[in-house]
Amino acid sequence: MTLMQPAVSRPSHERDDAWVSDLADSGPLGHAAQQQLHELLLRATRHQVWRLRHQLPGAGSVDLDDLAHQAADDALIGVLGKLETFEGRSRFSTWVYKFGILHAGVAVRKQAWRHREVALLDTYEPVESSSGPESHVQALDLHRALESALAADLTPHQRRVMFALLIDQVPIDVLAERLDTNRNALYKTLHDARQRLRASLRASGHLDSGSTGRRS
Amino acid sequence: MTTPSSRIPAEAIDSLLLDTSPYLSCNDCFAQIDTYVEGLIADPTYQDIPMQVHLHACGVCAEEAETLIALLRGEDG
Repeated sequence: MTLMQPAVSRPSHERDDAWVSDLADSGPLGHAAQQQLHELLLRATRHQVWRLRHQLPGAGSVDLDDLAHQAADDALIGVLGKLETFEGRSRFSTWVYKFGILHAGVAVRKQAWRHREVALLDTYEPVESSSGPESHVQALDLHRALESALAADLTPHQRRVMFALLIDQVPIDVLAERLDTNRNALYKTLHDARQRLRASLRASGHLDSGSTGRRS
Repeated sequence: MTTPSSRIPAEAIDSLLLDTSPYLSCNDCFAQIDTYVEGLIADPTYQDIPMQVHLHACGVCAEEAETLIALLRGEDG
């Protein structure tokens, strides 16, 4: 079955199957299916670039559209490379969109941070306190316990990743590129660091056991 | 040029101590985000705890999920 048939004539899962099948075709059918795929990706990349345009204050509409086109081109390669992993658990168009959104987001953040230095600090100064006088002593106690846990229970790498992502607000894909690693590895590092801090503060009585938050 | 921050603002403490269990990797989040978002749009009470925990903890994945929701809602609307 081909893209030439009216879209309304078949249930969406059958249209998806036909589309995926057509994409594997090496002839005109495959070319038309890829064109349609690229249009779908461009819709997603334009949407994402537009949403994130505040990160690129100097970029005009032509620059943004160029970026969306580049991201759609990259995403097309990504989709075609992963086509066999599509299991039909969502609509094919939704599955395709996520690739466009991913590539566009990465492209915008890369552009936005291209001239920005990423400081990888593993030292810190005492935590600023914004609490009022009544809770000042309690807050100070927590801050000291946290500083102690940061110093004693985390590795320098965990501290650097945690501070870059959570204090300096470096996007995780930008940091991954600077550290020559990937988003997955950094998120795992962050997860492990948070677990260690929570365990330390639970042990010292600053965090309720089994709770999701600190003691007030 | 980013000014390095060596001070921890008080408002960042909750983020440092966020409970991110059950663990879900960014790759697994990406693998499931399409079905999760479709489920959420079909039923706003749709629950997927590992996904929700991850999206609460990972700003970039959360941003991508928001865009996908907006894109699909725009199409449906």
